[in-house]
Amino acid sequence: MHPPPNTAAPRSRFAMLALGPPLALLVLMSLPPTIGALLLAFRNLTLMSPTSRWVGFANFARMLTDHRLHNALQISLLWEVVTVAGSMVVAVLLGVLIFERVGGRARDLVCLALILPILLPRVSAGLIWRFMYSPLMGVVNYPVQLLGLPPVEYLSRPSTALYAVAVVDVWQWGLFFAVIVLKLLETLPASPLEAARLDHASTWGVHWFISLPMLRAPLITMIFIKAVESLRSFDLIYTMTNGGPGIATETLDLYAYQTGIGMSGRISYAAAMSVLLLILSTLAFSFLWKRSQRWSD
Amino acid sequence: MKLGKFGLRLSTAALALATYATGAQAADNQCVGKVPVIRVIAQPIPTIPFLDSLKGEFEKKWSTKVDIQQFGENERRAKSRLDASQGSGAYQVYYIDEANVAEYATGKWALPLLDLMPKAWDWDDFLEGRRAVATYQGVAYFAPFEGGGDVMMYRKDLLAAKGLQPPKNLDELKNVVAALNNPPGVYGWSARGRRGSGMNVWRWTPFFRGMGGQWFDGDKPTFNSDIAVKATQYYQSMLKFAPPGSATNTWSEVIEGFRGGQVALIVESDVFGPWAEDKTKSRVAGKVGYAPPPEPLPSAGFAHGFAISTKGNPTDCSKTVSADFVAWSTSKEMEGRKVKAGILSDFARKSTLENPDFTAQINPEYITALRDTAPKTELLIWKSPLWPEVGDNLGLQLEEVFAGSQPDIKQALDDAAEQASEAVKRAAGQ
Repeated sequence: MHPPPNTAAPRSRFAMLALGPPLALLVLMSLPPTIGALLLAFRNLTLMSPTSRWVGFANFARMLTDHRLHNALQISLLWEVVTVAGSMVVAVLLGVLIFERVGGRARDLVCLALILPILLPRVSAGLIWRFMYSPLMGVVNYPVQLLGLPPVEYLSRPSTALYAVAVVDVWQWGLFFAVIVLKLLETLPASPLEAARLDHASTWGVHWFISLPMLRAPLITMIFIKAVESLRSFDLIYTMTNGGPGIATETLDLYAYQTGIGMSGRISYAAAMSVLLLILSTLAFSFLWKRSQRWSD
Repeated sequence: MKLGKFGLRLSTAALALATYATGAQAADNQCVGKVPVIRVIAQPIPTIPFLDSLKGEFEKKWSTKVDIQQFGENERRAKSRLDASQGSGAYQVYYIDEANVAEYATGKWALPLLDLMPKAWDWDDFLEGRRAVATYQGVAYFAPFEGGGDVMMYRKDLLAAKGLQPPKNLDELKNVVAALNNPPGVYGWSARGRRGSGMNVWRWTPFFRGMGGQWFDGDKPTFNSDIAVKATQYYQSMLKFAPPGSATNTWSEVIEGFRGGQVALIVESDVFGPWAEDKTKSRVAGKVGYAPPPEPLPSAGFAHGFAISTKGNPTDCSKTVSADFVAWSTSKEMEGRKVKAGILSDFARKSTLENPDFTAQINPEYITALRDTAPKTELLIWKSPLWPEVGDNLGLQLEEVFAGSQPDIKQALDDAAEQASEAVKRAAGQ
């Protein structure tokens, strides 16, 4: 009797061959800016001066007393929570609703319509919505004014600005994710759902207790994708509020940009902030990834 | 055929001129086709799309593609500063304004202009105020195509309906604005709220300086003084008569509100006068009155124009072609063509003020207001390479005050002053 063929070695070789080049490219592309940012973070380079010197941890020490940075961290965290949770809630509710209520060709058309917002560049989406939010001319305020109420300053009020921008983010990603949720639901076997219905489970009960738990792994992946994407919402916030009013919508990346390029030209301090963001996001995502593996099991 | 003495002299002069011209052309011809592209960074004022529509003429002359890239004011400043300071040289021609000429000059990011301009371009034809703004420590760095000071613009019909006279001082200004304020149809006032040295700080500065404020006492910032607090309180109190959303308004929203008929009175840069008179875009054309800003407000002088990038022009041919683009786009002829095309807001030359096409199209009241405001027009900002940082930090604090997220004006100004002190120390240490 022959021993079973050892397939592990060729499989591992294939994986190395397939993953090697893209990983090498990734390292080549991401290492220089990361190393550059690290080196800059320990100097005092500004755009005003061609020279700089080593300042050790001075930039990081300064962060401890920078209240604007602390605000930016809070805003970034709030932005992550609001946009990720908002997108997922909209996606699941809408996905289930379409799955239950819309069929045939109409479903395809609805899916097409839901995908359109994500195809819009963030800057365009930001500009369109900024105009729609305009207190005097915007369509969002039209019903308010019809009721004889004063227009709402969505983007000029510190209490509403972040949520008003988050609505645009959710409008783009929540609707897109709804299509993905719908397509995932379509792939599920029909029998467990039918069995639950025969047991008189409500529609939401069927999905809450059966279909959504079955989709736990892809839904967690979507949460991760959205969390990473939300870290990169610079263009949307910049276009709509530029971090204002005041610092009400100033996320860490926006503050780093304003410090390094937009306002002060303090490249090194901005680089130190980027390093902080890199460390925080790496730690947070590593922790969440580990936890999510437990949730997926 | 007899030429005679006069004829002989004329022929000799013509021959000399022709020889010079041929020589000059020969020198220039060496650069034809040698510079594939001239990239120009700009912001969308009426001059820019107009130049964009004519650039084919220039491209044909040099066999060079002209790529004019337009950004909003803050973006334009950030992008060109990054390009200049890092020496990437992506742009051959920069759009510079009063707020950053010191920075570009100190950093040697722009080339001294007059060394590269042809004599016929005639620097002396530019208005004195524009030349002063474009000059840093005696050297001119940009060729202006727009500039001016402030003017008060008001709805004559609304004032007449209430039996009001244009305000002459700040107390009258507040009273008139309060009387005209009738929301949601018409708001009494509007002003810039959005952060930025060229945004809210620009409009706030005449109030601060007019009340007697100074930026610095030696190295110590003094824009957190009692005068600055008083100026901010006044500015903030006026925003109560402004349309919703004014805490984050840019100049564009202020002007659109006024020419859309939703705002009764503004004090703004005088270039916007012709915007209000543009019948195709303004609902209030023909109904606008102009006057100098109420006392004690001075008028904030400014100028915008093109500069030649140092790093973006590494070769002699690149310098030649870029300089010729600047000369072409800011020439007397170009200003004349702009006037003919109905662009009356963007001018920088004395000869344009004498151009009959210009005077025929401009509201005489506007010209009178410009003349009356001229004596109190000056550069009111702090002329320092640190101004963009100091001004932008101050702008952020002011926006927080206007938006209500910082209720303590003194604290806001103290924070801005502390940041300015740090910037001064940092610059001194480098």
